[in-house]
Amino acid sequence: MLAVPETEFPPSINEFYPPPLWEALPWLTKFTLLVWVAAGVLIIFFLLAYRHPRMVPTRTQWLAESIYGFGRENVAKGMMGPEGVRFAPYFTTLFSFILLTNLFGIIPGIQMSPNSHIAFPIMLAVISYIMFNYVGVRRYGAAKYFKKSLVPPAPWYVLPLLIPIEFFSTFIVRPVTLSLRLFANMFAGHMILAVFTLAGFVLLNSSAWYLKPISVVSWAMAIALTFLELLVIVLQAYIFVILTSSYVAGALAEEH
Amino acid sequence: MAGDRSPQRPRDEGEAGPGANQAWAAISYLIGGIVVWGFAGWLIDRWLDTGGIATAIGAVVGAAAGVFLIARRLGR
Repeated sequence: MLAVPETEFPPSINEFYPPPLWEALPWLTKFTLLVWVAAGVLIIFFLLAYRHPRMVPTRTQWLAESIYGFGRENVAKGMMGPEGVRFAPYFTTLFSFILLTNLFGIIPGIQMSPNSHIAFPIMLAVISYIMFNYVGVRRYGAAKYFKKSLVPPAPWYVLPLLIPIEFFSTFIVRPVTLSLRLFANMFAGHMILAVFTLAGFVLLNSSAWYLKPISVVSWAMAIALTFLELLVIVLQAYIFVILTSSYVAGALAEEH
Repeated sequence: MAGDRSPQRPRDEGEAGPGANQAWAAISYLIGGIVVWGFAGWLIDRWLDTGGIATAIGAVVGAAAGVFLIARRLGR
């Protein structure tokens, strides 16, 4: 009952490549299913919460309104001012989706976040990247937008030095760090929880009798780290959305 | 709506707000400057076979340019 014979220790990268659920569909793995489940849960939750809205909200309605209120007040209006309201639905959805998929990493039985495969954060970062560029180009026109983003206020003879840096930091660093930050946090979080949990089993099954009680310490660490992981999960979802909103705000902002 | 606050509520501080935006921009200008011009210097190193000095010069010039950018873009 307490032995875990098939799982290797220490956990390797194979942890993150589960077999497909059905051989006929090699792309249908646990990750794909989790992303579909996350999207479905969010759609159903927000639909049901607003099915019969009341002035004095029911609990589900209150929860959904609080989530949207956070996305609208703190994220959209907080970063972008009153005109940010039209982005509030997207930021709320983005935050809820990232939060939910991150949470799968600590929910017992699932314990794997789709964001620990870099493909999913990459797509989310690509959407944010296209979004802030598209919004800027649409408001200012392509030439003016790129001039605004790439040409800093500096004397003309220094500009060749500065423009490559501006280009690199706005158009390359932003999407890369957005995706990498989310991916690395989820990957590392899963790894460390896997290490401590599996170490507990290995210690319990070891032949040296004095190592067996240490397994309790290992499992206590796993529990403590799960709470830390919860903090990281919420924080990373928040940071992703805040940075996206600040990039959109920056693309829309007037030059001083 | 649930969670609505009065309009006089002060702006949320901490991670939210334009200050965080500027902090990330500053870091990315600094590191970006070093990376971009250090890389250019490294390419010159390979072309002229100067054994590392061009990379160092490029990195230092890039760092200076990064600081200059931070001062211009974020200091006004």
